[in-house]
Amino acid sequence: MESTVQTFANVVIIQVDGRIDHSTAPEFGSVLLPQVEGCAREEKKLLVDLSKVNYMSSAGLRVLMIAAKGCRKQEGQVVVAGMQASVREVFKIGRFDMVMDSYPTVRDALAAISPAAAAIYVDR
Amino acid sequence: MQVPKILPRTEALTIDAVAHCTDFAGAQARQAGFAAARVDEVELVVEEVVANICHYSYGDRLGNVELVCRVTDGPRLELEFADAGQPFDMLSMPEPDLSVDIDQRGLGGVGVPMMRALVDQANYRRDGERNLLFLVFDSACRLAGPSQVG
Repeated sequence: MESTVQTFANVVIIQVDGRIDHSTAPEFGSVLLPQVEGCAREEKKLLVDLSKVNYMSSAGLRVLMIAAKGCRKQEGQVVVAGMQASVREVFKIGRFDMVMDSYPTVRDALAAISPAAAAIYVDR
Repeated sequence: MQVPKILPRTEALTIDAVAHCTDFAGAQARQAGFAAARVDEVELVVEEVVANICHYSYGDRLGNVELVCRVTDGPRLELEFADAGQPFDMLSMPEPDLSVDIDQRGLGGVGVPMMRALVDQANYRRDGERNLLFLVFDSACRLAGPSQVG
């Protein structure tokens, strides 16, 4: 699993590449969870780009849940974008549609959560 | 006289059983001719089952997890998990209510619904001092394929 973190305006985009399973979930957590700090209202929002993730087990969902609960406490927001079909099904089984919003692409997500970030976003 | 066939089997200590058993089952499914998406589904379940055995059956203490695999016509993949921990039947675990608000939800609870969604047959029995969990996977994918994005 590899990851990159980029900031556009008030949005931190965490892009993950590879499998998020029992072995790699701690690494996913070590990248995502520190970003929860300061994630409050419009000040800072988190976007997890899963378009390059081809496998996510419940260990990955657990990390997303910790992030979502942390953001909720601060009135912040974490969303996901670009889920491949198999990952989206796992998301659905876990009823994560009740936990966080998801969008087809990063651009769609930015347009919904931060027009300022959408305006300056450059796809790598 | 028919020579009994030796079935592929593996075992691992709980400390690395999840990755070890997941890799083993995935390799067996691939070898049986399962599509990549169905191999992922097998791996999702095995990861879940073994993590639960380590946590509930062994109470996160050191123990041994054994996995025997059989491929039958179809193809179908039959997996039998054995452990020597306390009695633990994952199939009778209550399904948590995942439709509640995030504040009311725990961090987990996805394992049981995941297994119900992806496995074609499941049985559990306690055999002496061992838990035996038997799972069957048909080759047909239960979830959507991996290629679409949305």
